[in-house]
Amino acid sequence: MSEVRIVAEPRTEFGKGAARRVRRADKVPAVLYGHGEPPRHVSLPGHELMLALKSDANVLLTLETAEGDQLALPKAVVRDPIKGHLEHVDLIAVRRGEKVTVEIPVVLVGEAAPETLVDHQITTLTLEADATDLPESVEVSVEGLSAGKTVTAGEITLPRGTTLQQDGEQVVVQGLGVISEEALEAELEAAEEELGAGQAGAEAADEGDVQAEGDSPDNEGSESDKAGEGDDVPATEA
Amino acid sequence: MLIPRRVKHRKQHHPDRSGAAKGGTQLSFGTYGIQALEPAYVTNRQIESARIAMTRHIRRGGKVWINIYPDRPLTKKPAETRMGSGKGSPEWWVANVKPGRILFELAGPDEPLAREAMRRAMHKLPMKCKFVTREVSD
Repeated sequence: MSEVRIVAEPRTEFGKGAARRVRRADKVPAVLYGHGEPPRHVSLPGHELMLALKSDANVLLTLETAEGDQLALPKAVVRDPIKGHLEHVDLIAVRRGEKVTVEIPVVLVGEAAPETLVDHQITTLTLEADATDLPESVEVSVEGLSAGKTVTAGEITLPRGTTLQQDGEQVVVQGLGVISEEALEAELEAAEEELGAGQAGAEAADEGDVQAEGDSPDNEGSESDKAGEGDDVPATEA
Repeated sequence: MLIPRRVKHRKQHHPDRSGAAKGGTQLSFGTYGIQALEPAYVTNRQIESARIAMTRHIRRGGKVWINIYPDRPLTKKPAETRMGSGKGSPEWWVANVKPGRILFELAGPDEPLAREAMRRAMHKLPMKCKFVTREVSD
C-alpha cells in the first residue's frame, strides 16, 4: 500500500467564496476528523493530491501540519462530474496499528466459460484492515465461471489481515447465459421495425394534420374551418 | 420503445433545462458509459436507436443498461393551425438530460469494442457526449 506525504495548510475562512478562492489557487479544501477530536479544516495541494488519489483510492496520507504529522485516509472524495477535478476531500484521522473499515475494489481475473457473460454486481468489498496495511484490491477468479453460477462475498479469499464487513451471501459476480444469435437478430429486427413503424406513423399523422388543418387563402374563414378546432376569426380578418 | 404505462397528467410544462445533473453521474452497473456534456431532451426513439446501434456492434458480447427514462411528454400544435384553442397534443416522450448524466452503461466487451459501440450510439443522440470508464468515472 502506498503512503504519500503532503503539506496541509490550515483554513481560516469558510463558505463557497472562500472554497472557490482555495480552488483557484490550485488547492483542494479538505476536512480532517476522527478519534473524537474536533474537525480540522485544511487545504491540500491539488496536483499532489490528484496524483496520490489516482494511484490508489485508499492511499495513506501523511499530512504535514503545524502541529506535526498526522496519518489520514480519504473517506469521501467529491469530484466535478464532468471535468473530474477534485472539489473537496473528507479525511479520516488514523493511527498506526489501528483497524479501519474501507471499501476495497474487486478485480476479476481469469476467463469465464465460453458462451458466458460475467456480470460484476459488486465492484467494492467492505473490509476491516490495518490502517497502514490496506490491500489495493481483492482478486476474484472467474476462471471457468458458467451461466447460473455465482461467487458470493463469503467465498472470496481475502488478503491476509483483513476481515469481511458485509453480508457474506451478497453476490459479487454472476455468470449469465449469452443470448443466441437468432434471438438477438429477431429482437433487433423487431425493435427496428417498431422504430420504423413509429416513424411512418408520425409522418402519416403529420400529413393528415396538414390536410385537415391546412388553410388555403381561398377557403380561409369558411364554414368548415370555423367548425374546426381553430379560434373564431374576427370579421375583419376573414 | 420506452413509454410510460400511465401518467397523472397527459400534458406537462416543458422541463427545466438549466443546471447540471444532481445524480446519476457515476457508473453504477457497467464498466463503460456514455456521459452527457450538454443539456438535451432525449426522445424514446433516440434512446432506442442508440441502444440498437450499440447492441448491433457488440453483438452477443455484452450487456447494456439504459439509465434514463423518457417520462416527460412534449406537445405540439398541428401545422398551419391558428394560435389559441389550448395546448397541442402530446407528440414526444423525452428524458430531461442535464450535463454529467450517465445515459447508457455497458459491460462485457473489451475497451476498443466498447468505445466504438458507444461512439456509434452517441451519433444517435442530440447532444455532445463522452465515453467514460469505471477508472475515470470513479
